[in-house]
Amino acid sequence: MESDLRSLRITSIEKEEEDEEREDFGKEGEQEDDEDDEEEEDEVEVTLGFAEKPKNPRLLLRHLFPSKAGGVPAWLDPVDLPAEKSFTCGFCREPLQFLLQIYAPISDKEYTFHRMLYVFMCPSMSCLLRDQHEQWKRTVENPCRSVKIFRCQLPRSNPFYSSEPPKRNGTDIPTITGAPLCCWCGSWKGDKVCGSCKIARYCSAKHQSLHWRLGHKIECSKILNLSETSASCIVNGKAKVRATDKYASNSLWPEYEIIIEEECTFDSEIPEYNRSITSLAFTSNRIDETYQLLSDKFEADTDKKVWASFQERIAKAPEQVLRYCQDPAAKPLWPLTIGCPSKADIPRCNYCKGPLCYEFQIMPQLLFYFGVKNDPDSLDWGTIVAYTCLASCDASISYKEEFAWVQLYPTATVA
Amino acid sequence: MERGGDRGGFGRGFGRGDRGGRGRGDRGGRGRGGRRGGGRREDEQKWVPVTKLGRLVKEGKIVSLEQIYLHSLPVKEHQIVETILGPQLKDEVMKIMPVQKQTRAGQRTRFKAFVVVGDGNGHVGLGVKCSKEVATAIRGAIILAKLSVVPVRRGYWGNKIGKPHTVPCKVTGKCGSVTVRMVPAPRGAGIVAARVPKKVLQFAGIEDVFTSSRGSTKTLGNFVKATFDCLMKTYAFLTPDLWIESRFAKSPFQEYTDLLAKPTKAILDDVVERVDA
Repeated sequence: MESDLRSLRITSIEKEEEDEEREDFGKEGEQEDDEDDEEEEDEVEVTLGFAEKPKNPRLLLRHLFPSKAGGVPAWLDPVDLPAEKSFTCGFCREPLQFLLQIYAPISDKEYTFHRMLYVFMCPSMSCLLRDQHEQWKRTVENPCRSVKIFRCQLPRSNPFYSSEPPKRNGTDIPTITGAPLCCWCGSWKGDKVCGSCKIARYCSAKHQSLHWRLGHKIECSKILNLSETSASCIVNGKAKVRATDKYASNSLWPEYEIIIEEECTFDSEIPEYNRSITSLAFTSNRIDETYQLLSDKFEADTDKKVWASFQERIAKAPEQVLRYCQDPAAKPLWPLTIGCPSKADIPRCNYCKGPLCYEFQIMPQLLFYFGVKNDPDSLDWGTIVAYTCLASCDASISYKEEFAWVQLYPTATVA
Repeated sequence: MERGGDRGGFGRGFGRGDRGGRGRGDRGGRGRGGRRGGGRREDEQKWVPVTKLGRLVKEGKIVSLEQIYLHSLPVKEHQIVETILGPQLKDEVMKIMPVQKQTRAGQRTRFKAFVVVGDGNGHVGLGVKCSKEVATAIRGAIILAKLSVVPVRRGYWGNKIGKPHTVPCKVTGKCGSVTVRMVPAPRGAGIVAARVPKKVLQFAGIEDVFTSSRGSTKTLGNFVKATFDCLMKTYAFLTPDLWIESRFAKSPFQEYTDLLAKPTKAILDDVVERVDA
């Protein structure tokens, strides 16, 4: 309608140029309109997790319901631990290494009064690359993965913990001791016993051979000679639990406590110094349309835009290692456009066949805190997203497997 | 007294429930909230890298941008460039342009910021960002400019005395209808160019150059892009001193850089070995 009116008028040449330019900018504005709409969508509340060194390692034991990363897992249900075929990597068959656990109770159901989510992964990058192919496969009965998430939940009254909250003043002790754990990794059930001393326990043959080579060979004979149990790796029947020296492995990731903060507390105020610049900018009304061409080359394309918005979002709190969102409609923050799952790629819950929904995601800053080496073959990920059962179903086994989606950075290739 | 009766769980947890008072208490205790007002300086110190290249730079394994350019690694975090170039990296806002969109309730104005960054010693970058507020646009443009830093090759006009001060040879760049030609100049000639490309060349660290342009240089966008294109070509030109053969270096991300080795094959070999063992 406006253009019709314009064609009727007799305008000077300069004015025509300006009108044309404004039309062009109209089109450009339409493209940019989508950006604005997207910015206003994200209003869900996100909770962030930060890795901090614990003041006292004893604070991270299981009776205090910790959220932690690295070290050994603090099993919520200490008796019915995952079985061997669940805790080995699908490709290299080695036991998985503990990455992190979070305490995420759900208030509206009785049987989820206590709820812990554990994330384990194989530290080998080649297994992770193969895992990428596996996660894209749909409708597989028993997927073989190298990243596994376990969920454990307990009602308020349960045989392992008291119904009263822990006092957190240094006097809390667990009520019962759990199943014996592997001497080497301290994570998995130690079913297999060392043949000679019959005291050291292991979860798998690989850990036994590793421990044998790195110290148990000498200790084993010492244990046989001594009548009392005094070696460092022995778990005895006393209720007192030693926090450290429980495992002999030298390759576990360093232990951190995960501190919880809301993302909205980090929204900072942008200083309002742009008032003076605004007035200056308005003096020159001549719009140079060919800056558009410049902007096409130097502005971002979609992949870079996604990355830029990802960076902007984490810039509020650059040290975050975990993003948790309780809203079932929330979407994870993807760093890249490639490798994102569609709705059909997310399978159903193994146990209740109900839908899974996004609960939390692990950020790559955790690799920095773990001090992972930066060799060509060392571990690296873009993000690991956890999809858990929406209903948080109760099944017969204590540790239920959930679905993990890993998005890796594309490997840099030489042009 | 039963604590946490309505909420599931005991004490600190992520859970789906009301978390009003606890979050604030935690923040006070850890002292995290106070960092908000610290300003940009604190953010730089507290940079936690997200990519492997970022972690390598933070560690200190990569000290110069040339190591990154050699293997064409994509730079995704602007703090990488900041850490490597440090305080020599200067930025300047070239222009803030208001762009308008017609809406029912009048015009919606946004601001487009053009920022050029450079260290005056062979590295330049240009960034463009549009935003509702001027400050946001400038900040975004600075970040984009740092991500697009490219190397500039300098050479001599005549005798090879002192440091390189001019372009190594006659180069020309083109964008749209604008062609910019840069010609080596003797010392003391200074940058003989129009106002806007002169700024870009100053940031690049070129001291003397003669330029000649053709086409509609009124279109500043094409003009600046053409000078950029020209500067990028300085390293694409094969001069006789580059005739000697160079050995391929190992990229920090790849175990093999020669074309014969296939990475997928290496992974399969590892798997076979482990299965056997």
